Amino acid sequence: MTELPKVRIRGLYKIFGETPEAMMPHVLAGMTKAELLAGHNHVLGLQDINVDIQPGEITVVMGLSGSGKSTLIRHLNRLIEPTVGEILLDGEDIMGLSQDELCRMRQTKMSMVFQKFALLPHRTVLQNAAMALEIRGTSLLPHKTVLENAMLVLKVSGHCGPESEAEARKWLARVGLEGFEDKYPHQLSGGMQQRVGIARALTSNSDIMLMDEAFSALDPLIRTDMQDLLLELQVELKKTIVFITHDLDEALKLADHLVILKDGAIVQQGEPQQILLNPADPYIEDFVSDINRARVLRVRSIMDNEITQNDFAQDLDAEDTLESVIAISGGDTRQSYRVLKDGQPVGQLDMKDLVKALVPRAASGERPVV
Amino acid sequence: MAFYDGVFDALGLREWCDGTSAEGPMTMEQLLAQARGEESTAVETELVPFPSLDNLHAACGEIPRTREMTSGVENLFLSVKDGLKLVLDPLTQPLSWMLEGTLYVFTAAPWWLVIPVLLWLTWYVSRSRGVTVFVAFSFFFLAFIDHYDAAIQTLAIIFVCTGLCVLFGVPVGILMSKNNTVQRMIIPVLDLLQTLPSFVYLIPLIFLFSVTEPKLYGIAIILYAIVPVIRLTDLGIRLVDKDVIEAANAFGMSGRQKLFGVEIPLALPNIMAGVNQTIMMSLAMVVIASLVSAPGLGVLVLRGIRNLELGVGLVAGLGIVLLAVILDRASKAALARVNAIHETH
Ligand SMILES: Nc1ncnc2c1ncn2[C@@H]1O[C@H](COP(=O)(O)OP(=O)(O)OP(=O)(O)O)[C@@H](O)[C@H]1O
Ligand SMILES: [Mg+2]
Repeated sequence: MTELPKVRIRGLYKIFGETPEAMMPHVLAGMTKAELLAGHNHVLGLQDINVDIQPGEITVVMGLSGSGKSTLIRHLNRLIEPTVGEILLDGEDIMGLSQDELCRMRQTKMSMVFQKFALLPHRTVLQNAAMALEIRGTSLLPHKTVLENAMLVLKVSGHCGPESEAEARKWLARVGLEGFEDKYPHQLSGGMQQRVGIARALTSNSDIMLMDEAFSALDPLIRTDMQDLLLELQVELKKTIVFITHDLDEALKLADHLVILKDGAIVQQGEPQQILLNPADPYIEDFVSDINRARVLRVRSIMDNEITQNDFAQDLDAEDTLESVIAISGGDTRQSYRVLKDGQPVGQLDMKDLVKALVPRAASGERPVV
Repeated sequence: MAFYDGVFDALGLREWCDGTSAEGPMTMEQLLAQARGEESTAVETELVPFPSLDNLHAACGEIPRTREMTSGVENLFLSVKDGLKLVLDPLTQPLSWMLEGTLYVFTAAPWWLVIPVLLWLTWYVSRSRGVTVFVAFSFFFLAFIDHYDAAIQTLAIIFVCTGLCVLFGVPVGILMSKNNTVQRMIIPVLDLLQTLPSFVYLIPLIFLFSVTEPKLYGIAIILYAIVPVIRLTDLGIRLVDKDVIEAANAFGMSGRQKLFGVEIPLALPNIMAGVNQTIMMSLAMVVIASLVSAPGLGVLVLRGIRNLELGVGLVAGLGIVLLAVILDRASKAALARVNAIHETH
């Protein structure tokens, strides 16, 4: 991961209330969210957030309700303005953008998928999917003539141009909605509506996709489908995705990088398997204690990186889950396995270590480096 | 001997009171008595009269009477009238032209042209066969009983006034929805317009414009009927789903794109409901406006009242009801059509 981060968040604070700036000294002096609310009637939304969002990765932000997840993701496209801090997009601070530049940035560089779908109810599925391109096509542009701009003013009716229509059709088909182009959103099920939401985001052809609890309103089966769809698309498209969820299973399934928020502050961030194995604090232990570790943990996370013997029962792949290893071993804890990655031996795994890894470890005195 | 003489004596104001003893206008009591057509009686009925201006005046000549206050209001109005007229006259002149023009077109065009056009219009906005047939029936009935001309005049006035209400009301409503200060300032004005008895509108207007000018009743109708369309535009835009607005922002819509592409379309059911109410209120006012020379069915109703011609008044009233029903049905059908498109879940 030597690439430059796509988005960097540096020292971000957000305080909701009448005079947020005046509250900063209190917050910097260590006042908690509860104290600030009780003493000064201001809500501490986010405090000291530092995250690097790598290109082509799924960064998952997880936390309980009210922990500030939505607030955080809305800072990335400045739907919410920070109190203090900077947000660098490709190295450029988005706080320096003028209103017009901000609109253009939202049109071209970021798209968003919402928990409640937020489709335009008076537009067809096709028009919804083409929305981003239509917005771009009907934006007034300083380099165009007054007459051209005047024509654009009359063109906000929502009729798609042929190119944007083709693009929208393509992505609707890609998310499995072929044949539904002329329906209205209320004629579709929730799962299908969210597919439209995803198609809308993809049609905008932006590098960054922001997804705020995009699958939380869907029932479990549809939700799994949608997660699979997202992962499948991601293999092909390599977008930079910021995904918000309050569900650990979903987070572990999707995340390349996991950020855990509590009361507006980051408690731990890093590779999800590492967080699972080395929870930094009791809050996270609580979180991870209910997880089916055998299904989530992979061989690469618990293997021994050195090969010290040569008597192996079998070869395993580094990406295998512990569940599949248990199935292979038939429950025999005396076995050892060799671990291969892309066909090359990279380590070994003792079944005893595997069994130990299945028991959640209490956060010990020494803090794991993440 | 007036009741409050003693008070002024005790305060040592007797001399100031008797300084001038000019004859003032009559008291409110006399005015009301005159309005009732009685001889004014100067009998003091109450033991302790309320210390009102008239009663105090009886004891002390320097205190003005209530009638002097009302004529003060009158003079104040008359003094600003000329300036006001200078500004308002040219501004409102187009309204007179529009009303005259539309009335001319509607009455000059032959019935066999007007009725089909109106039926087509009904079909176009409502797309409902039932409503169209009902409108056709109503018009043929009105024409059959020789009320066609009056009805078509009333309709012409309503078309012009409702059109102008929408033209001005919707932008004002949008402005209110965008800015809380503007909303706070306009709401009291709307409340005033809505609660002011409809006759009271006419009083300052009669002073400002001549009774023969159509704009006089045009303004009265518009002021009275514009309120619902403003209120419901404001409400409709404020009620647009916040999530949808957020999505529009997140995809980089400008204010203009949001207004025309999202807010107005989504507020349309509410705006249409406002237009429906506006039409109904114009119809109510058009009858009262016939007091100031608005032509149409209202004139016949008025005649019925003045001359005690029961039949004329009642049949014209029935005609108004019929107009009200067809306007209501047609605009409700249009509203239902809009709602069907916007229906969610
Ligand atoms: N506009 C606002 N004014 C005041 N406080 C706010 C505002 N928006 C959010 N907050 C507060 O900020 C905190 C974080 O809210 P946020 O919506 O980001 O939480 P969340 O993690 O997205 O929760 P959920 O899972 O319920 O969506 C909450 O305590 C909330 O009350
Ligand atoms: Mg949220």
